[in-house]
Amino acid sequence: MPDLRGSHGDQPHHILTRWFGTPDLHRLDVYSGKPGGYAALRTAFLEMAPAEITNEVKASGLRGRGGAGFATGTKWSFINRDAPGPKYVVVNADESEPGTSKDRYLLENSPHMLVEGILIAAYAVGANQAWVYIRGEYDEPYRMLHEAIEEARAKGYVGSRPFGKDYPLDIRLYRGHGAYICGEETALLESLEGKRAQPRSRPPFPAVKGAWGRPTLLNNVETLSTVPWIINNGGAAYAKLGTEKSPGTRLMSVSGNVLKPGVYEVELGQTFRHVIMELAGGPPEGRKVKVFWPGGSSAPVLPESMLDTHTDMEALAAAKSMGGSGGVIVMDDKHCIVRAAHRLLRFYAHESCGKCTPCRIGGDWAVRTYERILANEGSQVELDTLQRVSDGLQNGRCLCGLGDSAGWVIDSTLRHFREEYVDHAIRHECNVEAPPAASGRHLPMDREEKTASA
Amino acid sequence: MKSPEKGALSEHVLDEIKELPAKYPQPRSAVMPALDLAQEELGHLTPAAMSEVAATLQLDPGYVEGVATFYSLFHLEPVGKHRFYVCTNLSCALRGANEIVDHVKRSIGVGRSDQVSADGLFSFEEVECLGACEFAPMMRLDHRYHYDLTSEAIDTLIAERKGVGKVKVPSPPRGAINGRSARERAVLDAPGAQGQGEGLKRRQPRKKKADA
Amino acid sequence: MPDVNLTIDGHKITVPAGTLIVEAAKTVGIEIPVFCYHHKLDPVGACRLCLVEFSPGPPRPQTACTTPVSEGMVVRTQSAMAVQARADILEFELANHPLDCPVCDKGGECPLQDFTFRHGYPTSRIDGPRLHFKKPIPLSDKIALDRERCVLCYRCTRYYDEVAWEQELTTDERGVQSFITSQFDQPLQSIFSGNIIDLCPVGALTSRVWRFESRPWDMTHTATVCSKCSVGCSVTLWQRRGQLVRITSHENDEIDEGWICDRGRFDYTDVNDPSRLRAPSILGLKATWADAINAVAGGIKGRGAKLGISLPQDITNEEAFLFRRLLDGPLKGARVKMHGRTAIPAPDAGRAQGSPQNLMRIKEIDDARVIIVVASDLENDVPIVDLRVKKAVSKHGAKLIVVHPEGVDFDRHPGTVHIRNARGTAAAEVRKLASHELLKNPGGPVAILFGDGHGSEDIDELASACGDLAAQVGGKELVLYRATNERGALAAGVAGWDKLDGVQALLCWGPPPTAGIPKSVKFVAAWDHLPRDGYGQAVVLPATTFAERQGSYTNLEGTVQFLRPPIAVRPPLKEGWEVLCELGTALGLRLDYTGVTPIQREMALGTPDLEPAPPPVLVGPAHP
Repeated sequence: MPDLRGSHGDQPHHILTRWFGTPDLHRLDVYSGKPGGYAALRTAFLEMAPAEITNEVKASGLRGRGGAGFATGTKWSFINRDAPGPKYVVVNADESEPGTSKDRYLLENSPHMLVEGILIAAYAVGANQAWVYIRGEYDEPYRMLHEAIEEARAKGYVGSRPFGKDYPLDIRLYRGHGAYICGEETALLESLEGKRAQPRSRPPFPAVKGAWGRPTLLNNVETLSTVPWIINNGGAAYAKLGTEKSPGTRLMSVSGNVLKPGVYEVELGQTFRHVIMELAGGPPEGRKVKVFWPGGSSAPVLPESMLDTHTDMEALAAAKSMGGSGGVIVMDDKHCIVRAAHRLLRFYAHESCGKCTPCRIGGDWAVRTYERILANEGSQVELDTLQRVSDGLQNGRCLCGLGDSAGWVIDSTLRHFREEYVDHAIRHECNVEAPPAASGRHLPMDREEKTASA
Repeated sequence: MKSPEKGALSEHVLDEIKELPAKYPQPRSAVMPALDLAQEELGHLTPAAMSEVAATLQLDPGYVEGVATFYSLFHLEPVGKHRFYVCTNLSCALRGANEIVDHVKRSIGVGRSDQVSADGLFSFEEVECLGACEFAPMMRLDHRYHYDLTSEAIDTLIAERKGVGKVKVPSPPRGAINGRSARERAVLDAPGAQGQGEGLKRRQPRKKKADA
Repeated sequence: MPDVNLTIDGHKITVPAGTLIVEAAKTVGIEIPVFCYHHKLDPVGACRLCLVEFSPGPPRPQTACTTPVSEGMVVRTQSAMAVQARADILEFELANHPLDCPVCDKGGECPLQDFTFRHGYPTSRIDGPRLHFKKPIPLSDKIALDRERCVLCYRCTRYYDEVAWEQELTTDERGVQSFITSQFDQPLQSIFSGNIIDLCPVGALTSRVWRFESRPWDMTHTATVCSKCSVGCSVTLWQRRGQLVRITSHENDEIDEGWICDRGRFDYTDVNDPSRLRAPSILGLKATWADAINAVAGGIKGRGAKLGISLPQDITNEEAFLFRRLLDGPLKGARVKMHGRTAIPAPDAGRAQGSPQNLMRIKEIDDARVIIVVASDLENDVPIVDLRVKKAVSKHGAKLIVVHPEGVDFDRHPGTVHIRNARGTAAAEVRKLASHELLKNPGGPVAILFGDGHGSEDIDELASACGDLAAQVGGKELVLYRATNERGALAAGVAGWDKLDGVQALLCWGPPPTAGIPKSVKFVAAWDHLPRDGYGQAVVLPATTFAERQGSYTNLEGTVQFLRPPIAVRPPLKEGWEVLCELGTALGLRLDYTGVTPIQREMALGTPDLEPAPPPVLVGPAHP
């Protein structure tokens, strides 16, 4: 159906989005019809041993789609199924990475796919209860997921005896309330426990001590939504797609200066040129791609000359970037890189939880330095400061990846667009046409002073 | 039902909050949904409300205050009836979000996010990525997303809430929500109590004026 | 588990398994700077100051405070990366830190100063405006908060949450906007609030009582024993020019583990009161010691039961011993009342309480699997024991049963079983506990702590019930005396409980009775350090305070601890034991001791004491 902004329909690589566009796909009776929903759950529950399920996921080579890209099957195997006491599956639906909307796309189109994946995962790792931590701003997806769970409950898939087997399963929802840091695993767990969401030191890892002190499996929405297909078609079939080390497909949200922004399902290994120029239609008439963020704002940027980089994790690592959340932000040549970097640093400084020194202080220091540069008060000193702050944020200095990401924004834009920085900082000019992005001081220097805007 | 004193919570909200701890493996987890209920009733979190939440959950008010101030969606100052949460992160900024913010500020007559319009109806806030980048520029208003924003769209939304012009169900977003009927996509009541199975529990509705 | 061998900066060491790298480094004198780490709090790895490299291990540096040692580990704290990481983190900490050193009370004992000097960059690259807050904020009338100096190590809020189980101190906002605050800006109420001053590694949390009074290098200090309650925590008393300038904690893992309560920390300003009595007086007129002591002797001699003696809660063992000799001799028959004591008799005083083997020490609370607290509000009566119980519950998983008519602070923990008995029925409830769910299979020692319910319980019944319960469930008892040296006074037999109504002469050793001086009294003799109403009609001897007193206390678990006063007694003041000896002589009893030590020697040999008495404990070095 043409009004979907993203992939849908019958194509060989549409693992997740094949049935999107079907009217009322979010309803259980439709999902269980032609799309064959809940067949995988039945198979897993009634015909497979839990270890087999995990092995199938391992065989698929599926990697976490939240950002870290950790091998999913391996993650499942970290949970000791036989340890006494409750275990939990926690679903990270806190999607807040700038440029990323794929989980929302999944939840609004086919929430049952996620429900099915959760139940299979819970059974595989020995959990009876799953918690979905969903960001507070996702009112509609929350409502739809809630309805889907209730439908599953009415059908008995969620309940005390799914398929007549004595293995109770329950899914509960927990809303976030506006903190990007809750996308980080251990911060999410802290928030789930009703605390300020500050990440924990690891070890211990969530598989050993997670939610409420119990062994916990944490997976992203897209990751779990892929599981039913793997069970239905086999891990080997999934591994045939994509590349050897990054098998399968992933949803890439493409946004920014493109003609057809949307959530596109892409076979890993495709190039970014295909994704940005073909699927998303490229930049508007008369403009060229200048830079793109390949995996959310937290992925180091790549310039236009690297459009032919492949979308698999290895290729991105070789390009000194990362797959991240798969959110592709495209900026054209009419926009200023320094202002863009400033806006992103404002984001990281605003979302910093404040627990560790380098991120808390460094993010804010970087923002203030950008503001001096953009106010034409800069000099070589400011450029050195930016580099120095960036170095101080990376390589294990920070407690979690938020600090590293902030560092990468500075580092990668400086590396690829040094001239623009020099234009601003030394020559006090901006040689890019379009109107400026948001500027002005973002946080008060004096706590008693009221902010210009939050 | 006695009307609540200024800044404090009503009986039925406190009753709902009392039932929350049992829904979680550990009672402290109830603090976020409890604060959400309190904010839904009062519009923002007052010290009295936070103290009542704390007392009901047997926590120190300081703890509740610490949690409330951490999360952006909890407001500790009045925010007006309708708050424009406009995303100005990169993808939206690249498509004109800052101009939208300027238009909102001019139209509702406030300059800063800690201010409320003179009629008490509107306030705004620049927020971070809301996860709908393919519809940029976009925003969240009254518990739903509004996509492909233009100045005209903003004007219409403001007018509806002021009661000027025809009151109508806002048109559903183009795109992603596949094939659902207009009625299904109508504006919903704000989600109420949190926790499992509570998403749509209808509390005693507040006296409603003729708006969405 | 076997010990672990590892190498730190080339030093080969062996430490117990589970030791954190930062602690292992200390064993060879290597300082890894830390802010957020504190050995009594759960490590968090927040400040990132302790980053070190080690192999085998991840390719990135890790925090030494959260990583336990492993066999064959090679740790490098001086590699280029680690050295630079430390300097960078310190630079970040200083980015918003105000240049307050000249006016900051922490100067001279400030880890931020010391670390910057030892590990930081020699020059600053910070050239911009710093973040400002209103300062100082009064967190209570005793503690000031300076948010600009705060490095957000979160030691204070973590201490409050983990150790004290309270959250009136909290962090608001997030990111660089975070700040420490008391809930709704209300003053801190907790009796445990003062420890955050000791914990704070910078000058953000400071004592308002000591504000701007002295620099650390001006003071000398001794480690001694607190005189405010029966727990007997170790404290450090700091003096300058003969004044007691401040009190901080001193770690004694047997009893307090480094925490003290606000009574012990802040109740000392009376020592420096300018109106302190310095000379004896008779009816308001200055007199010599000889005359005054003779006047006292004349007034109390031969009165028998018409003489009342009021003793303070912090009477030393030595003074108590001397009083015993007086009461066995010239003051025979006098009525004695000791301040602040409970109704509980001495242990093993001929009752069916159980043999001394059933009595426990405070530190045995750590290993208890079930803790039962009866008829006592620990938080107010014996605060630091309260913290020890909380630690056993939250960190060692002990179960807690409370028998008390009203709510107590332990109720914050969802696992606490609180039996709200009607007043006076505690003994009956205790007897029922033998069949309680949690005591069927405790899985280890059971600790029974009981007080006297401030007089609301029949103490003999209760003691007997607790003793029987201990025998039934394999438990041990900790008897919660309240007065500082109640146990020592009981052993000496001077912990009197007599009513003083109708006496004609009153000898007050310490402050006068809280109930006031009985109307029947015609003659008052006082040994006190501050002037009070009515002393114009009395014979008054100027007393030493706890900061000058020599002697020993016996705490509630029976440990005898020697005091180490930081301030020497200078004439015209005299020591308490000395005055009692002279009084004895004036009363016709030869009390011939040359010092405290001969008294102690005689006490140890002569007084039939608790059996077996634990050996006396020296508390820290003396630097008078």
